[in-house]
Amino acid sequence: MSWLRFVAGRLAVGALTLVTLSLSVFWATEGLPGDVVGVLSGTDATAAERVRLRESLGLDRPAAQRYLDWVSGAARGDLGESLVTGRSVGDVLAERVTNSLGLVAIAITVIAVIAVTVGTLSGMRAGTRLDRFVSTGVGGLIALPDFLVAALLLTVFASVLRLVPGVSLVPVGDTPWQHPQVLVLPVVSLVIGGLGAATRLLRASIIPVAAGPYVEQARLNGARGIGLALRHVLPNAAGPAVQALAVMTAGLVGGSIVVETLFTFPGVGHELSQAVASRDVTMVQGLALALGAVTLVVLLAGDLAARALDPTTRRSVPR
Amino acid sequence: MKSLRVGLIVLLTAVVVFGLLGPWLPVGSATAPAGRPFAPPGPGHPFGTDFLGRDMLARLADGGRMMLLQAIGATVAGSVVGISVGTLTGLSTTPVTRVMLRVVDGLSALPPLLVLLVLATGTPGNEVVVAVAIAAVSIPFSVRAVHAATRDVVRQPYVAIARARGDGPLRIVRYDVLPNILEVVGAEAGIRFIAAAQFAATAGFLGLGASAPAANWGRLVRENLPGLDLNPAALLVPAALLVALAVAVTAFVDRFAAGPATLARVVPR
Repeated sequence: MSWLRFVAGRLAVGALTLVTLSLSVFWATEGLPGDVVGVLSGTDATAAERVRLRESLGLDRPAAQRYLDWVSGAARGDLGESLVTGRSVGDVLAERVTNSLGLVAIAITVIAVIAVTVGTLSGMRAGTRLDRFVSTGVGGLIALPDFLVAALLLTVFASVLRLVPGVSLVPVGDTPWQHPQVLVLPVVSLVIGGLGAATRLLRASIIPVAAGPYVEQARLNGARGIGLALRHVLPNAAGPAVQALAVMTAGLVGGSIVVETLFTFPGVGHELSQAVASRDVTMVQGLALALGAVTLVVLLAGDLAARALDPTTRRSVPR
Repeated sequence: MKSLRVGLIVLLTAVVVFGLLGPWLPVGSATAPAGRPFAPPGPGHPFGTDFLGRDMLARLADGGRMMLLQAIGATVAGSVVGISVGTLTGLSTTPVTRVMLRVVDGLSALPPLLVLLVLATGTPGNEVVVAVAIAAVSIPFSVRAVHAATRDVVRQPYVAIARARGDGPLRIVRYDVLPNILEVVGAEAGIRFIAAAQFAATAGFLGLGASAPAANWGRLVRENLPGLDLNPAALLVPAALLVALAVAVTAFVDRFAAGPATLARVVPR
């Protein structure tokens, strides 16, 4: 029963956030003074041309009605057409989303392995020299903006050492997976960008567990090293750790926009920043809504997994 | 330790002062061509020229102020909202404060860069909108940090005594809560300032805010990326300024304010 209520509560909050997100996206892109028609028609359009364009885009209808049309369309999977190229936003999304998801998935796997290892090492030895060293390094990583990491990697590996391509040039019709060398720099950039925050969160979730009485008991029973970490510390820290990784994954959505733009990687983030540059309002709305929804789903999954993995709630369920 | 501390303060002051006063420095025009594109450092051009042949030093001097003002403005706005909402919600749990916290949580679920891009689409070419977007995405973290710190203080006996004495909420915040959370508030503001400066630079990098020839240090990195082989200084110097700013503020916060452990809970990124 408590599980059902928990899931229902989280779903309700998630749905409410999604509605807020759609409202904010719509209001910010169409309700603010910067008028779509003014941007699209240019400075030398006559008043009559502006009126015609406004009517042809359906912008002469009230904002509330346009919002409802847009949202009900989005619910059916129809996000409208690009104002610039005329392509369906849904098609662009479908074409790019697997590239972006794949890129982020590889990065998360690498981050998870490193962050869990380093975070556990550091958290179980909180306050020691190793821990201070890790904390300082992590602080430095967090302080670096994603685009700077990516630009510096590009400088070193693509330009100075010439080891990997600096631009994700993928022939038309091919997917990036057929050209693994273009994935190297984007993945490494995302990993460095997300690793700091992930390791800090992992360490923070290990520390209270490692200082808890049952770990003390296990230590007294002679468990130590990897056995102690795997059998006693990690299972109890798994809940918050998974949640930390979910938060970090949501953060990578932002990072991927920057990284994809810099390396011209054919993903949703690159498509979004191009749409922003060309004032393609429909495209921005659709892609922003999709990326926001993905973030919310990841956070929701993190919440549910954290609860499922938490030993105290797991025990209470069968009763 | 002492020399490190002095060094950090000097570095931070130098970067901030150069950034804020840069447009007034007598370094020549930031928009007029001064030589061929991507000329390496030489006499008259200590950092060479950029992709249009403009003097890099002048471009750097011109590119810091707006970015720093955006970061400072967003940090101050975030602190004002964070302290008001955070102490209020921390002091008493009512249905209203609970709803406020839920709204804050919902806001923090949105990817910050997405908010920035969407706002910049609606109001293109506007630096104030960039600052507003940065403030908006940082407010949830400020509220949470102040809320958590206030909850810790409110449990103390002296707050119970103040309440029993009949002190109102404003009086309790002013005399019992604020003096005890100042360290957390300061450290949290420092962390948000780093994030705000990063966002301002990222906004420039993505081409948001005022259009060319205006360019903050982030956009300078982007502009001069193609000339990496000809004049690396045009890319590396603005990058170094951004790194110096971030590292100096981080070290400052870590060393001189509240323990970062308390903040790691509430400010993941």
